[in-house]
Amino acid sequence: MISGYLDGLGMVLQVGTLLAIAGGTLLGIIMGALPGLTSAMAIALLLPVTFGMPPVMGIGMLLGALCGAGASGSIPAILLNIPGTPSSVATTFDGFPMAQKGEAGRALGLAIVASFFGGVASMVILSLLAPPIAEFALRFGAAEYFSLSIFGLVIIASVAGKSLLKGLIAGLIGFFASTIGTDPITGVGRFTFDQLSLLTGINLLPALIGLFAVSQVLKDAFEYDPHQRLEESTHRIDIARPRFLETLRHWKAVVAGILSGSIVGPIPGAGGSIASLVAYDQTRRFSKSPEKFGTGHAPGIVSVESANNALLGGALIPTLALGIPGEAATAVLLGGLMIQGITPGPLLFDDQSGTVYGIFLAYLVANVFMLLIMCLGIKLFIRVLMVPRKQLLSAILVFCFIGVYGVDGDVFNLYLMLGFGVLGYFLNRYDFGTAPVILGLILGPIAESNLRRGLQAFQGDWTPFFTRPISLTFLVIAVGLLALTLWQNYRGNRRTESNASS
Amino acid sequence: MKKLLSTLTLAAAMVVGGSALADDYPTKSIDMIVPFSAGGGNDTFVRALQPLLEKQLGEDLVIRNIPGGGGAVGMSRAVASKADGYTLLAASNAMLTLEAMGNVPFKHTDFDFIAKVIEEPYVIAVGGDSQYANLEDLVNAATSGTTIKVGVSGVGSSAHIAAVAMANRTGAEFNIIPYPGGSEAISAAMGGHVDAVVLGGAELRSALQSGRLKALAMSYAERSDSLPDVPTFQEQGYDLTLTVWRGIAAPKGLPADVEKRWVEAIKQIVADGSYEETAGNLGTQVSPLYGDELDAFIDQSAEVMREAAGDLAK
Repeated sequence: MISGYLDGLGMVLQVGTLLAIAGGTLLGIIMGALPGLTSAMAIALLLPVTFGMPPVMGIGMLLGALCGAGASGSIPAILLNIPGTPSSVATTFDGFPMAQKGEAGRALGLAIVASFFGGVASMVILSLLAPPIAEFALRFGAAEYFSLSIFGLVIIASVAGKSLLKGLIAGLIGFFASTIGTDPITGVGRFTFDQLSLLTGINLLPALIGLFAVSQVLKDAFEYDPHQRLEESTHRIDIARPRFLETLRHWKAVVAGILSGSIVGPIPGAGGSIASLVAYDQTRRFSKSPEKFGTGHAPGIVSVESANNALLGGALIPTLALGIPGEAATAVLLGGLMIQGITPGPLLFDDQSGTVYGIFLAYLVANVFMLLIMCLGIKLFIRVLMVPRKQLLSAILVFCFIGVYGVDGDVFNLYLMLGFGVLGYFLNRYDFGTAPVILGLILGPIAESNLRRGLQAFQGDWTPFFTRPISLTFLVIAVGLLALTLWQNYRGNRRTESNASS
Repeated sequence: MKKLLSTLTLAAAMVVGGSALADDYPTKSIDMIVPFSAGGGNDTFVRALQPLLEKQLGEDLVIRNIPGGGGAVGMSRAVASKADGYTLLAASNAMLTLEAMGNVPFKHTDFDFIAKVIEEPYVIAVGGDSQYANLEDLVNAATSGTTIKVGVSGVGSSAHIAAVAMANRTGAEFNIIPYPGGSEAISAAMGGHVDAVVLGGAELRSALQSGRLKALAMSYAERSDSLPDVPTFQEQGYDLTLTVWRGIAAPKGLPADVEKRWVEAIKQIVADGSYEETAGNLGTQVSPLYGDELDAFIDQSAEVMREAAGDLAK
């Protein structure tokens, strides 16, 4: 193994390879930071370039793009309240409030360092524990996926903000929207109105950009006061630097992020989107001051961002150990691996050639480049906030249109984005929140299709959902968390009542 | 660095779009519609071909992923675009499946097929430690009252139709469970959540190589070099021949000289041999077909799909 790493090191520490990784990381950072452009697009764009390269160089470039995009999604989330990907939704919860307090530089500094820690830790876990974790992921059948999604839905209660009921209503709106499209089991079209674009259901990206970006632009536009001068811009550039010590002080949040990214992240198809929300939820629940979350509290940012980059390593586990990609970005990456002649699977980890160790090290190097490039760029990113509001708003809207149209060149998705933008504006205005809608939209199809797939496989018998150990565990945790939330709400209400009466 | 520069040029070309004018085709970048998201079999096939085609044609090939509706959205877009050779489609069985299911307003006759480039068989596979050692065991179990759960990728996908065709030709009764995609179906089979999967050979390649899954039969007429140990349905006594093919098509009315230019380019790439290794790595094999032979092949495949889809509707 040591000699494998030495061989791998020899492959990585070459000028060409290092340049390729740095280039991939830079492209990933740029694409991840622009709302609507994704790491999957960055990797797909780089794929043909890597054909002529040696395996470690080519795969290193693609991993760089994956890593860069995973970290830079936090930039628009913090500065503008616009998550570029579903996994950076939770970054907005504390990142944006902190930026509003004039501490955008601090928020970015925390996010960058937390991403780096998450990425490095996940690389270590990937290299040591990939085969057993992959085996664990394989044990997820229909019943387990269903229970996992129920567990995820309980998190809606946590991200719901002020009112549990309103959060659940918003979650159900997302759930309903997820039923649009072809029925996953029988193939019948539901609510598609003969619209080809709706056959595969509501595309997540237009919904995400609409709910978060367009709604934010609408809100800002309505609140825009042309007479207000910009002189009170409180953003201090001097605090914009990487925050190593401060991040380490919140080590519990880092650990929560790494654990949830590495355990939930590898579950194909479900893990990526909810790992960061699980991290946020757990960090808040076990915090001594849960009430500070959502107001610009550092552990909130740290947990989400460490989870975000840890889940990339997590998603690589089934991709490399089983050849099963969890989502779009790793699916494209898998294509790159196969074209290079690297067959993913358990054998890859026994391979003596050092290639797999080279890939691990390349991922580590990509994280280092990510840290360096982001640290160099941090003062630049912050200047976005110096742009006068009206120019900034129009620029954001332009990027939203480009990003959403760029996904598949479908004009229908632009209307969808605008529709969700209006919906998001009203949801925010009346305190329903938009995060539960996205969560419902993501978890809805997982819950529905796996419930039905399970019932078909078990021939109508629903008891396996409660008797299979992993499935039962998730259901019990879900019920427990729900009870805890209700109890905390009840106590909170009692306390405010007694405060009011005394 | 050169590679990096070429990426940047490519990116720039995507933004600017070709606008130069000259006499000979191609004079500007060519759009290649992939009716699936990036990372699928169709996508990887074209992306692996992209640099070679660009060298042959001397222009940029811009790959546009237009997923949705099992390929319906991208194909509708292709069929509606101008037949000037600047919008082409990465075509596959999916088109014939959609047509056979009657879900789309176009037919395969609305396209001009330029070339078939690669193909792979459909494979039925079971878990590596499955109790079913061969196809006969599985069929015997299925015909004697045991419910065999078979995972496929996507409801109404070509693999779904292939699974139905296998059930019909072997007389077995399958409980077919559709998964969102091939990788989900494979992980279900590896985890023992289904008894078998029916998928294209390329998707199953790494799972078969690692021994996590075991192939029982494949749908070529004869054994293939890519899976030499896997028996065909034909040699086990079942009349079933189906292939997953991938190639290039254009909206109907493609000028003859454009088609000729493309056929020449692909013939040259095949002759150079460099694509063969890539195709092999992807678990497919190069099996080019052009002109009238290709048209006959497409018509025959469409017929098989229509017949199997009719069985599905029953």
